Amino acid sequence: MTPDLAIDMREVRKYFPSSDVLAADDVDFQVRQGEIHALVGENGAGKTTLMNILYGLVRADHGDVRVNGETVHIHHPNDAIRAGIGMVHQHFKLIPSFTIAENVMLGIEPGQLGFINASEEAQAVADLGENFGLPVDPNAVVADISVGMQQRVEILKTLQRDARILVLDEPTAVLTPQEVRELYNVIRQLAADGRTIILITHKLVEVKAVADRVSVMRNGRMIATHDVADVSIRDMANLMVGREVVLRVDKEKASPRDPVLEVNNLLVASAGGIPAVFGVSLELRAGEILGIAGVSGNGQTELVEALCGLRAVEGGSVVLGGEDVTLSTVRARRQRGMAHIPEDRMHMGLNLRTSLDENLIVTVYQRSPWSERGIFRFRAIRDFALRIVRSFNVRSARLGEEIHTLSGGNLQKLVLGRELDGHPGLIVANQPTRGLDIGSIEFVHKTLVEARDAGAAILLVSVELDEIFSLSDRVAIMFEGRIMAVHDIEDLDEESIGLLMAGHQEPGP
Amino acid sequence: MITRLRHVLEGAAIPVAAVLLGLVVSSAFVVIAGKQPLPTYAFMFCEGFGARGCENFGHLLFVPVEEEDGSVHTHFAPTLGTRGHKLAIVLERATPLILTALSATVAFRAGMFSIGQDGQLVLGAVAAVFLGYWLPDQIYLLTGTGPDSAPPLQLALMRLTIPPVAMAAAMLVGAFYSWIAGILKVRLNVNELISTIILNAIAVQFVTFMVNFPLRADFNNIARTRTIDDTAWLTPFTRALLNEVDWFRGSRLGIGLLLVLVAAAIIWFFLHRTTAGYEQRMTEGSRLFARYGGIPSARATLRAMLISGALSGLAGALMILGVERRIVDGFALGGTGFDGVLVAILARESVVGILLVASFFAGLEQGAINLQFENLPRQLGGMIIAFMILFASMEDFFRDNITRLRVRLFPESVAPSQSASEA
Repeated sequence: MTPDLAIDMREVRKYFPSSDVLAADDVDFQVRQGEIHALVGENGAGKTTLMNILYGLVRADHGDVRVNGETVHIHHPNDAIRAGIGMVHQHFKLIPSFTIAENVMLGIEPGQLGFINASEEAQAVADLGENFGLPVDPNAVVADISVGMQQRVEILKTLQRDARILVLDEPTAVLTPQEVRELYNVIRQLAADGRTIILITHKLVEVKAVADRVSVMRNGRMIATHDVADVSIRDMANLMVGREVVLRVDKEKASPRDPVLEVNNLLVASAGGIPAVFGVSLELRAGEILGIAGVSGNGQTELVEALCGLRAVEGGSVVLGGEDVTLSTVRARRQRGMAHIPEDRMHMGLNLRTSLDENLIVTVYQRSPWSERGIFRFRAIRDFALRIVRSFNVRSARLGEEIHTLSGGNLQKLVLGRELDGHPGLIVANQPTRGLDIGSIEFVHKTLVEARDAGAAILLVSVELDEIFSLSDRVAIMFEGRIMAVHDIEDLDEESIGLLMAGHQEPGP
Repeated sequence: MITRLRHVLEGAAIPVAAVLLGLVVSSAFVVIAGKQPLPTYAFMFCEGFGARGCENFGHLLFVPVEEEDGSVHTHFAPTLGTRGHKLAIVLERATPLILTALSATVAFRAGMFSIGQDGQLVLGAVAAVFLGYWLPDQIYLLTGTGPDSAPPLQLALMRLTIPPVAMAAAMLVGAFYSWIAGILKVRLNVNELISTIILNAIAVQFVTFMVNFPLRADFNNIARTRTIDDTAWLTPFTRALLNEVDWFRGSRLGIGLLLVLVAAAIIWFFLHRTTAGYEQRMTEGSRLFARYGGIPSARATLRAMLISGALSGLAGALMILGVERRIVDGFALGGTGFDGVLVAILARESVVGILLVASFFAGLEQGAINLQFENLPRQLGGMIIAFMILFASMEDFFRDNITRLRVRLFPESVAPSQSASEA
């Protein structure tokens, strides 16, 4: 074989009997030494499974894996590390209470007789960072450092273990635009240094910005591998989805009307009792989309839960349609026209352990015509479910059957269908496209804009700046539980929003 | 349709495989006890489910009977009632077991892992036994009559009213006792597993005390309460309409079974056809989802615990009014409640499954206990049942292997990974 292949996977096959999914269907995957290779595909296309096989977390049913031309048998991450492969997972695997140095050296501590020499460790990690242009403070505790810095620590961990091939799984999902740019630089530098980078992502802009070659997976199969220079973003999107996609959201300028939601000086505590939302005030009008931008974990979840009646409010007030609902139950708020598209559709938005119909009636089941005197009217329920399934085009959904086999996009369509039914006056959408593929994102965006045009007030919480920019009419930027600023979308660019997301105050007027 | 049939078949394969594996593993212990496994198991199943004359597995279906003229005829075994059928006794024992299993299921299906059935059952039993003799006493006192001198109309009215009153009281007591665990969970987030274990212990001690002191009837070596009045007795079939039917002979199977079947139907309807049942099932599936949708979960949880307790209390009442007719010391340790929990788990919380599993369980227990007639330790029977339950709980293991087998035999039945592209 060509000797310059860093990774050469041949006819890799993996079937998961428990979920009855063929996640890798005789996949071939070649990565050249020293290149930045993007692996793209929609959710469930098999890219993570393929990389987990490479890293020894999942065992393939059959297939060959060669690293630098030699056949290897990787049954455990330790085998992968020995073969020079390092992986940075989407969810970091750091110990928050340890210092950076302790995390980097975990399991390979230098020292004698089991005693750890802390200063030697710190020096080694500081040197390592300097050598790769990734400076860190080795004595900082991981819990105190930013997400971007944590990612840097993860990369250093793999470098300390002498990884020549780095797999980065969705590395930009949690970063601010500035941090993303820094990460690109790091990746380019590591590649220039002769290392091979595999970038798992679903953001095609990223592929264009940093990768040399790109492989596209769909439904467990490898569809194509191209030089990035030869393909456009549209081409890649079409390959991923298997058909033509519309990437831009068409929307008219908003024509806001009466206020629907007024939030005054809201104070909300997190699970630990620490204030998570600190004096937030907002006004939202019918017919507009207000985006809440911010890096994940800056109080957005708590804000949404407080607005929707799922979390107790410590102070301030929430006024919905002219009535104070600060202390109202979820049901009372819903009856006043609130709809909620939650961040966690698997556990909050849906009950995967029950049927499609029972998922769709959760907000209306106690009312006529769905039930009379506490007993269900199944004909009305079936008609209702059928209407939602049809009008939202939920594929492969069958009434009365459990929904856990549906794809993420179809599940989100169920949530949207249920929440948007009956034309709610307020729609709180928290990360409505998280984890969805391009086709479904397109659908969700189109649906939300239609709801806006029909007169709904929409509060859109998203950590994806693209989404904020393509949907919002106004944007509020949230940082550490406060609203840093509220602007019309035309007055913002990626640079200014990024600074606000990172906590920089705007200069006073 | 084919998929659904496949699911049913694969679902049925699991308990069958579990029973067979349990028997295979237990064989080692049968051999250690000095017996042949197959004849031992045949004896066990005949004692559990067979008609008179059952000697091997085949006899469970068709049994030869020697007629008076000396000729031998083969009969369909389950309906053959020569001097009683073992199945009648099985159903008698299954009666309270079905109720405690339903009780566990209602609680489980509200996301409450309540195992308080034993405590609720024994308290219900005490209520039933007390009312079973005290109420008739008061009526005889008021009317100046006695069990032998009362006019037939009075006796008939008593027969119609006293058992329902005693059952209702037992259900109230059980419901209240179960509600304690519910309110502790809802208000103070006390783990229901712990609270129900403790409540069971308290109830057992309390009932033992009641039987030994306040309600003790005589100075017999083994403490026991008075026997309930004849009018409080839930009549067994052998004593009433069906006294001519041989099949029931030797069992105290009675109206209780019919009540239990009605209860099972009501519970099924409640869980699947009413908004209240929906509320508690959604709470079980995902508390977050229920809250998010606006379902009053705390209320649904408490309601489920009340129903669960009432069912266990009723189980206690039926054991007293239909079978035992008094409480003998040691009754509180019977374990019908906990067996019901096992049945509920094995039946995977399906109402129809409970009817089947409870009967099978009762038959196995009866067969296992009777192993002592074959000079085998009765503990061996307990072990065999325990092994079967252990294998039955390995559901995922069986399911994965069944799927793997299917994939090997019918590769085309593998669905390609769900297409993520749509709209």
